[in-house]
Amino acid sequence: MAPEAILSHLHRADGSATYTHNGYCIIGAVNGPIEVLRRDEMPEEATVEVNVRPAVGVGSPKERHLETLLHSTLRSIILTRSIPRTLVQITLQVRSLPDEESSTGVSPSLLLLPHLLHTSLLALLSASIPLSTTLTAVLIALPSTNTATASTQLLSPTAQELLRAKPIRSAHVFAFSGEGKLLLNESDGTFSYEEWDEAAEAAQEVCCKEDGGVGLGEGMEVDGREGQNLDDWLRSVVRTKVGHEQRWKSTS
Amino acid sequence: MPQEAQISVNERAFIQDALKEQLRLDGRAFDAFRPLELTFGDEYGVADVQLGKTRVIARISVDVTTPLPERKFDGVFQIITEFSPMASPAFEVGRPTNAEVVLSRILEKAIRRSNALDTESLCIIAGLKCFALRADVHVIDHDGGLIDASCIAVMAALQHFRRPDVLVEGEKATVLSIRERDPIPLSILHQPLCVTFSYFEEGELFLVDSNLAEEQVRDGEVIITMNRHGEVCQIAKYGGAPVEPYALFNLTSLALQKVKEMSKFIQERLDEDAKRRNAGGLLAELSAENDRPFDRPVG
Repeated sequence: MAPEAILSHLHRADGSATYTHNGYCIIGAVNGPIEVLRRDEMPEEATVEVNVRPAVGVGSPKERHLETLLHSTLRSIILTRSIPRTLVQITLQVRSLPDEESSTGVSPSLLLLPHLLHTSLLALLSASIPLSTTLTAVLIALPSTNTATASTQLLSPTAQELLRAKPIRSAHVFAFSGEGKLLLNESDGTFSYEEWDEAAEAAQEVCCKEDGGVGLGEGMEVDGREGQNLDDWLRSVVRTKVGHEQRWKSTS
Repeated sequence: MPQEAQISVNERAFIQDALKEQLRLDGRAFDAFRPLELTFGDEYGVADVQLGKTRVIARISVDVTTPLPERKFDGVFQIITEFSPMASPAFEVGRPTNAEVVLSRILEKAIRRSNALDTESLCIIAGLKCFALRADVHVIDHDGGLIDASCIAVMAALQHFRRPDVLVEGEKATVLSIRERDPIPLSILHQPLCVTFSYFEEGELFLVDSNLAEEQVRDGEVIITMNRHGEVCQIAKYGGAPVEPYALFNLTSLALQKVKEMSKFIQERLDEDAKRRNAGGLLAELSAENDRPFDRPVG
């Protein structure tokens, strides 16, 4: 099932997005470029601030950890040098999580990370912050039943699928840039180098399959997975957004 | 963090002059609320309130803890309001603004101290185990009227929430999951709701449910919390505008009318949601709850 996204629906923030996928619902808002505090001001770059707010309770070290990961990833795709001495403030509010999340045995921050990345990217796009590239992210889980081959890998599994495939030996989050370059990798659990390699390959397939590479992609469609990859999904979301913004032009 | 953008002198004068001519910028009557929208999520205890452009999400969650030593028979109930930069860039994480302090104080007085929730019903084993209920208020979009919207959100979420059932055998308590036993609603004693009146022109004029621009122009505010039975839970007055003591009687009767409308609206939405969940009409069979009079006021 492809993720659902609603863009620019908040009135106060400069850019906003609500992202729903696999039972996760996250509201993201971006304010920027705005005035920055003197102590955070950088003479040649923009400051990026990320706030992750959990659905229940106040932020804990888990959220701080996610913020650090998001911060370093997003900083590398935002053209911070074109808007120096300003602040780009990204707030991500987790609205709902799947009920089974806590019992999957996979680190909850890994489960959340790809969704947070997508939400923040959509919110940044909605706020028209200059970006050098887009990003797509995916979670891959390797169950410990037998030697992991491409077929046993779980590609962006739902919480229920994870529960069924328990115990999960390792979980990996990969984020790729629009050009297919690896931006972020977080892995948890025990795995061999070959397994990681296979997982990375599968993730790249899901995130940014080349138009030419038909072979495996066709196979995926037969398996009942989404026919389009995440890059195509992102493109369609942006196309809808641009179409909406340019409607004054196209109707005349 | 940047300061909240101050309203310009021209804008301020424009709003004030329009009010003198009995006009509001959005064309509402002085005693009219903005369109109210209330939706519930798939889970129990999540209420999404939209009051005009203001949007607040309240979320109830439950946990098991030991009760406070001085209150052995009571559960724990907390309301947490923390503003995020999502609502306005002027809100900084970890540094509460004035509005945030006022909001949490009012909600504390209106809902917690007025005993809207029967905390004794949250006790599992006296002195040893109780439910700790927390209400997280997330402000998503800020266009004034935060207190009214948050109060509606928290009360609607409390009424929507179902806590898991417990099985007590002597000293041993087992919390039964949703799959094992149908969760039971909280025991709500009454439903307090807030109505904020904004004062203008040195207390000559008042508006109901002002938006952010009007809030920035106003001289003072009076927040009245009452339930639909006409019992006043709290009155708070902030700002310097003088208010006639007798005017408060007027305000309370107006507030009662608004609270009645809002309670009715919340009840309608709760009923709709219950109908949606109870598609096959099977919920009544699953219920493990004893019949008790819920909606009757105490005292």
